[in-house]
Amino acid sequence: MQKKSWKFGTREVVYSAIGAALYAILSLATNWIQLPSAGNVSFRPAVVIPMFFGVVFGPIVGFIAGFLGNIISDLIAGYGLWFWWDIGNGLIGMIPGLIAVWMTTYRAFKDILWADIFSALGVLIGMGLASISEMWVSGADISTVIYANFIPAIAPDLINGLILLPILMVAYAAIVKRSGR
Amino acid sequence: MLVTWRYRLRNGLMERFDPRARWIFSLAFLFSVTLFWDARFLVFFFIIAFVWYFSSRAKWKETHRGWYLIGFILFTMIVVNTIITGGGAGGVVPPGGHLVWPEGGTIPLVNWNFHFGLTWERLWFAICQVLRISGISAIFLIIPYTMDPRVYGVTFHGLGLPDSFAYSMELAFRYVPTLARDFGTTFDAQRARGYEIERVKGGLIKQVARIAPLIVPVTMNSILTGEDVTNAMDLRCFGQGPRTWLYKLTFHWQDYALIAFSFILLAGGIVTNVAFHFGGFWVPQFWLKLAGV
Repeated sequence: MQKKSWKFGTREVVYSAIGAALYAILSLATNWIQLPSAGNVSFRPAVVIPMFFGVVFGPIVGFIAGFLGNIISDLIAGYGLWFWWDIGNGLIGMIPGLIAVWMTTYRAFKDILWADIFSALGVLIGMGLASISEMWVSGADISTVIYANFIPAIAPDLINGLILLPILMVAYAAIVKRSGR
Repeated sequence: MLVTWRYRLRNGLMERFDPRARWIFSLAFLFSVTLFWDARFLVFFFIIAFVWYFSSRAKWKETHRGWYLIGFILFTMIVVNTIITGGGAGGVVPPGGHLVWPEGGTIPLVNWNFHFGLTWERLWFAICQVLRISGISAIFLIIPYTMDPRVYGVTFHGLGLPDSFAYSMELAFRYVPTLARDFGTTFDAQRARGYEIERVKGGLIKQVARIAPLIVPVTMNSILTGEDVTNAMDLRCFGQGPRTWLYKLTFHWQDYALIAFSFILLAGGIVTNVAFHFGGFWVPQFWLKLAGV
């Protein structure tokens, strides 16, 4: 069956919801993980979820997983609503989703390479937009935006996404092969 | 792992409004306040925001965590950006200005002279930032405490979102406790098999990869569950026609009033700022008198 990139049927509705809930839960559950070798930076491994759901199920699913997942995570933590950061997280899922139709086995080197490239692009664009929004919302200048928002946001997202995404794709390939989907 | 929503019924004034009207007001407020840097307008928005916030009857004990985060963000923005760095304050504050310490200072013992470029104008801009960010935060921080998670789906459907998107939102809220439970089970099972997330060793790549035993099983299980849910929904003809919702939302007179107010706020802000060019950064005379100007 030929894949359609922008389809949003029942399957996509369900996986959007699952992706969003998973991103929220894993964000809350793993946000405390510190990696001492990286200078006591707090990582967010859950960021791989919108990337993965985008690559597998398409850009709309990826966007909702990131956008809504971030909203739910902030709602549960009591941090309120940060609109532009939610959009940024949505883009982290949507941009890798643009190549969902190119995927073949999910474990082929070419699939993983393209997924990583577009995930990195998604992080740069998504977190770039969210960071720049601070200029017109909070009045921050460009150097604060870059050093206080952009770099601290993209560094853990890139590291987690590029390492964990291939692992999830290989695991998913095994499920697809076993279940014949 | 237990996950609970922060919402509970408080019988506050805010809860008498329809959630759709509340979202319209919140978004109108956000777009309106970002049009202004004049403190006279920002004080007006600040007062509206906190009247709205206190109408929720949420207690400090419940919301303090969110306010600590906002405090940290404000500290970063204001102390680091506006006060310490020589940044142009978002292109809002004109260059130059009146220095707070025009003679500079000397560090004792080492006798190093330094000149701090902080101006009275940037200090006033920092006050404007506090007013603006606090107002926006008050409007949006209170949402999870005062809006029932069960009505998010029907609310966004009522705001014009397609059924599939609105239902996706509702389903996501429904899945949160289930996946939290699955994560807890997976975590306990892995720990019973000797998995210790606190003691990861090796380089950066290896350390991040060690988180996979937590994320992969939960993700794959939820994908397999999703196939069953998809089949169940398809069998019940999901998406074949307009969907009905369990909860029904109805506008009352106060909701129309709030929507009208939101429209006036946004339209008024746009006309004031764009047509009459009011609302730009302004420093009051009494503040400049402190500078001895």
